[in-house]
Amino acid sequence: MDVDLLGFIVDYAGKRGASYAEARLHVIDYLEVTSRNGELIGIGSWRSSGIGIRLIYNGVLVFAAGEASSREEARSLVEEAIAKAKAGAGFRHGLSEERLGRARYELKPVKPLEDVSIEEKTSLHREAWESLVGRLREAKPAAFAVEYMEAHEYKAIVTSDGAFIESSIPRVSLFANITLASPQKGSIQRFIELGASGGYEAVESWRLSERVAEEAGEMEEVLMKGVEPPKEPVRVVLGSEVVGLIVHESCGHPMEADRIWGREAAQAGESFVKPDMIGRYVIGNEQATVIDDPTIPGSFGYYLFDDEGVPARPRYLYLRGVLNEPLHTRWSAYIFNTHSNAAARAMDYTSEPIPRMANTYLAPGDMSLEELFEEARDGVYIKNYMEWNIDDIRWGQRYVGLAAYRIRNGELAEPIRNPAIEFTTKWFYSNIAAKSKKVEFYAGLCGKGEPMQGVPVWFGGPHVLLNPLKLGVAPK
Amino acid sequence: MNPVELSTRMVKEALKQGFDEAAVLIEAGKRCMAKFANNIVTVVQYWRSYQASIYLAKSRRIYVATITSSRPQDMVEAIRNARRIIEKLGESQLYAELPEPTGKPLGGLADPSMEDYMDKASELALEAVNTALENGASKAAGTIDLASSIVALATSRGAELKEEVTYMKAYVRAFGPKTTGHWAYASTRASEEAVRETARIAAEYASLKLDIVDIEPGRYDAILSPLVAGNLVDEVGRSASALHVMMGFSPFAKYKPGEKIGAETITIIDDPHDKALPGSRGFDDEAVETKRKPIIERGVVKTLLHNTKTAAKMGAETTGNAGWIDPHPWNLVVEPGDAKLEEMIREVKRGLLVLNNWYTRYQNAYEGVFSTVTRDALIYIEDGEYKGIVRRLRIADTIPNLLSGVEMVGRKPYDVSWWEVPIPTRVPYMLVRGLRFTKPVV
Repeated sequence: MDVDLLGFIVDYAGKRGASYAEARLHVIDYLEVTSRNGELIGIGSWRSSGIGIRLIYNGVLVFAAGEASSREEARSLVEEAIAKAKAGAGFRHGLSEERLGRARYELKPVKPLEDVSIEEKTSLHREAWESLVGRLREAKPAAFAVEYMEAHEYKAIVTSDGAFIESSIPRVSLFANITLASPQKGSIQRFIELGASGGYEAVESWRLSERVAEEAGEMEEVLMKGVEPPKEPVRVVLGSEVVGLIVHESCGHPMEADRIWGREAAQAGESFVKPDMIGRYVIGNEQATVIDDPTIPGSFGYYLFDDEGVPARPRYLYLRGVLNEPLHTRWSAYIFNTHSNAAARAMDYTSEPIPRMANTYLAPGDMSLEELFEEARDGVYIKNYMEWNIDDIRWGQRYVGLAAYRIRNGELAEPIRNPAIEFTTKWFYSNIAAKSKKVEFYAGLCGKGEPMQGVPVWFGGPHVLLNPLKLGVAPK
Repeated sequence: MNPVELSTRMVKEALKQGFDEAAVLIEAGKRCMAKFANNIVTVVQYWRSYQASIYLAKSRRIYVATITSSRPQDMVEAIRNARRIIEKLGESQLYAELPEPTGKPLGGLADPSMEDYMDKASELALEAVNTALENGASKAAGTIDLASSIVALATSRGAELKEEVTYMKAYVRAFGPKTTGHWAYASTRASEEAVRETARIAAEYASLKLDIVDIEPGRYDAILSPLVAGNLVDEVGRSASALHVMMGFSPFAKYKPGEKIGAETITIIDDPHDKALPGSRGFDDEAVETKRKPIIERGVVKTLLHNTKTAAKMGAETTGNAGWIDPHPWNLVVEPGDAKLEEMIREVKRGLLVLNNWYTRYQNAYEGVFSTVTRDALIYIEDGEYKGIVRRLRIADTIPNLLSGVEMVGRKPYDVSWWEVPIPTRVPYMLVRGLRFTKPVV
């Protein structure tokens, strides 16, 4: 497949009467190595390669995807898309007018993935297992699984109104499941997810073996010595990992403009945010500033132009406690009579571009972590989590801590097992008492759309001190 | 070249390149989806898909290559790339020889009219909207999803198999004055009447004339709709994969075949042979004959789901559920009971009817400790009668508790699949005693 075919598709669709046409050549090469208890299960490669076309024809929005390696195949894909578009529905879709990019960019890794041997990529599984086994004193590993994934994503996008964007981004990720068991105490489980754009230098920076040993040590302590969370309301310090997830779920998702309009109503749901609340509604205090920024170098959600050709920039979703700026694509911006802020992302060639987050984080504060603990005095520290979920308007949510500790006299004390926090979005953003100065990021695959699209994102923030809150506990 | 010939040719190519074994699975087809919201069609999506998955083994090492191309030269290149890498790998702990082919196509899984319906996907979507509005809803959202494909499989043990399959999946969310309704449908056959019925049920729930009531968190008897029961049965079905058990993702690590995990009322079957359910197939990815079998029978674990590899590792027999690496259920069926929905409602002194849920996540998948968020109509029941609509609560419990609490299973099953029920599932309403509900405390 070549890029010239994209211009042909866009021209041909225009000649056939489409008021807008967009063609995206999208190729992702994956390599995946999976293991259990340090021993290899297998290796898999996956090449997802094809063309995604989006047309507006008679006011109907149509997306079509397939192989198209020749003009003949491309023409027939356009014709089949138009055949579907003819069964219209009365509503006329459009796209906002934007200054569109004409650019090529490439993320050059420090250590290209192809320069690292497969032996090295498989050896990190065994080393992590040995590190885990070497760290445990009382509990036994019930299961330990590691998945290493690398991906090269190439895209070329041409639109009928002048965009041309060509990009090449390598990404790496690691997933580990640590499950520990004790005959007396039951079991405890932790999923570690790491991800970045770039080359093998990111994998090396994660120091998987050390991380596994450290986390397994924390897990063992919680499993063997963890007590029930306090019953009375207490101040809670949340780790960056928990804070990052909270802002992803309770700020990023409800500020997706398609959800606000209702396009995802039957899938991921609507949003507590209504169009007339933008710029007015107070969701929290002065500490509540949440940014989504696709341009952070090395981030898992990194891009410089979105999949509609719009140049990327940081978006201030909540600004000092006010609903500020939704995530817009050209499709949603047209409906809201505003401009896109480059949130259009498509998972692969089979996927339509829709409003998505990239790298979402809570703005930092000015305290050290020690100062946060001192400020909490008598409270609970929830460092990380396992279970979480949020309702379909992004209001009521729950996070269950994994590595969690009592804070006594401003210092960490005994471990706590399975503390659950369950609050509304407004309560969280209105009860941020203090924040630490250091922002840390965590990786995930964010799911949305129909068919489901999983796109790489970072979420993060500082540590946060919350006003007193009554804790629950996960069931046994 | 047709997919069967191509898959056979690629198996030969792999053997020529020095692999000990090979299997090639090609899925080629068309799919059209009309998505609607706010009473309009928001997008029509159409896919012309071709995917070749190539299993390769050499000296007990395993490589699986997948490409989205129909070009033989791309498949040959994928095989050559695998050849360069595979000898640098260690042996797979899961390796087992590909088995003798025993599977054969079921046939009768394709609706010849499905491709014609694809050109009418938007019209079906608008039919769903209109039906919802006619039945009292103020707006509707949802999806009409139509697909037609050929699955071709060749293996180095001599399998050359083909199955033609189609499906229609439809789901509708309807909005009313106090609450929303949701319903879903899945079949190998296209049916305009099924679309209307799906929209009608969603709209009936949306139009319930009940006041909003507030209840405290705690344990309640719960009638789970086929959507909720379907989501949780899917969780159970997927965690029955022997690989999930080995990887620590499943409560079946603790509850082994022969042990009791639930009440006598609950039987969950993996059924690949039902010609109405879209997951059916006569052969698995190793060309083994698929079969209908209970995963849980009257509350007792009967079998995990195996391919040849997990079976060899765990000293069992394949159950015809390959996935070359990860076994999976085909369709899930909950054996119906004899209760009518009205009888279940009458049995509830203080409880809830839960129409829909999403976002099921685990604190500990090894123990089955989970929570899931209710959505759409959540109906408070007192002394056997609907009393009001409750705003979103959360079910927070364990899979063994859930299965142990099943007291009644409805007599009427529904064939459902949607965003939160990915595996086609045939399931009635269920009454579960003492399920734990939570909600935000602030």
